Amino acid sequence: MAAVRADDLDQLVPLFERYHGPLFNYLTRLTNDRETGEDLTQTVFERILKYRSSYQPTQPFKAWVYQMARNVHADYWQRQQKLRAADADVEDVERTGALRGAAFSQMRVSNHHDDLHEALNLLPAPQREILVLNRFQGFGYEEIGQLLGCTAEAARVKAHRALQALRKIYFAN
Amino acid sequence: MKTPELSACHELETLLPAYVERSLPAAEAQRVAAHLPTCLSCQLQVTQLRALTDDLDAALPEVPRTALRANFMALLEQEKQLLKPAVAPAAPVQPEAKEAKMVSMWPTALANGWMRIAASIVLIAAGVLLGRNLSWKDGESSSVATNAKPAPAELAQSMRQASASDRIQLVSNTSKQTEPGDPTVQVLLNTLNFDASPNVRLAACEALYRLREDPQVREGLVHSLSIQTDPNVQITLIDMVVAMRVRRAVPQLEKLSKRADALPVVRAQAEAGIGKLI
Repeated sequence: MAAVRADDLDQLVPLFERYHGPLFNYLTRLTNDRETGEDLTQTVFERILKYRSSYQPTQPFKAWVYQMARNVHADYWQRQQKLRAADADVEDVERTGALRGAAFSQMRVSNHHDDLHEALNLLPAPQREILVLNRFQGFGYEEIGQLLGCTAEAARVKAHRALQALRKIYFAN
Repeated sequence: MKTPELSACHELETLLPAYVERSLPAAEAQRVAAHLPTCLSCQLQVTQLRALTDDLDAALPEVPRTALRANFMALLEQEKQLLKPAVAPAAPVQPEAKEAKMVSMWPTALANGWMRIAASIVLIAAGVLLGRNLSWKDGESSSVATNAKPAPAELAQSMRQASASDRIQLVSNTSKQTEPGDPTVQVLLNTLNFDASPNVRLAACEALYRLREDPQVREGLVHSLSIQTDPNVQITLIDMVVAMRVRRAVPQLEKLSKRADALPVVRAQAEAGIGKLI
């Protein structure tokens, strides 16, 4: 990333190869929509390019990029809230948008995983995020703590609470 | 009798996720282990937590469409172009500026007019220069666009010459217009097996999936499983043969699941695929 910062943009390609999959997963699971996940992943890399000069070489790239992904998601979420407040029809638009994106993804889903994702989506956003980071992104509690600005122990407790909450939803019927 | 049991449950409940995760300190783990046989509700919770953990671990990662990569590459290219012109247009501006200085001796009204003309010349010159710099890109993309319905032979020909991103576009254009049974399938299969860029190969996968009615496609995909080495392509192929329920792919999947040079995630995916096919 230090090379990218010095305008050697080709060096971003290996970073893209390494992180775009995990970031796409993270954002797709947070938004529950593949298309939005792709858009937001794209935005993350746009911002990396735009703000490359603000990268501190001492900082791990992973932490920096996930912080950026969180911000991108937060911005998206706020925009959605405003849209929802302004216009209730937006939900219809969202639904058709999700349908289009499902064309290729439809071949990979099985009902079983749908249940799990539905349960995940019923969790409050912060709990969902912590589980996604912990279970799907392979983040340790230490890393989660750094990202969310709390101690590793607090991250552990939160993750366990989230897991219990998910269990209750998942096995509700 | 019941009250202390319940409060014990309540207290232990918060420890259960850590117990299932095996991250509890030994003393607390022992307390939980001692409590479990006496309490059905906590037993149930532990079973459910284990099942949930297994399901979470088994959840497949979502794979982004290749468009994401193509978009990123386009973005990167654009950003690089932005870096370049910062140097380029500076050169032609200087001689024009001299001319503008010369006419500044004229009466002000006239000079203003000349200044305007000079400025417009500078703008046009910069525009032409930029246009020349960028024109190769437009030319190629328009050639891709005009080739909207290439014959398979032409397609094979242009596949050999075009750059990776153009090849992706060619591949995705093709499949929109071809009918099953078309020789294009063979070209796409060749692309899938022998193109140097994994992104082009992935685009060929997507294109072939749309032509899945053709028996050649099923045969070709099974064959390709043994050739591919890129994990993205491998996983996409596995997903496709599973989705198309190609039972003949099972021996290839078995080989893939044992290949030492395949990524663990690919091997796991192959095994999961076998499970779904048999």
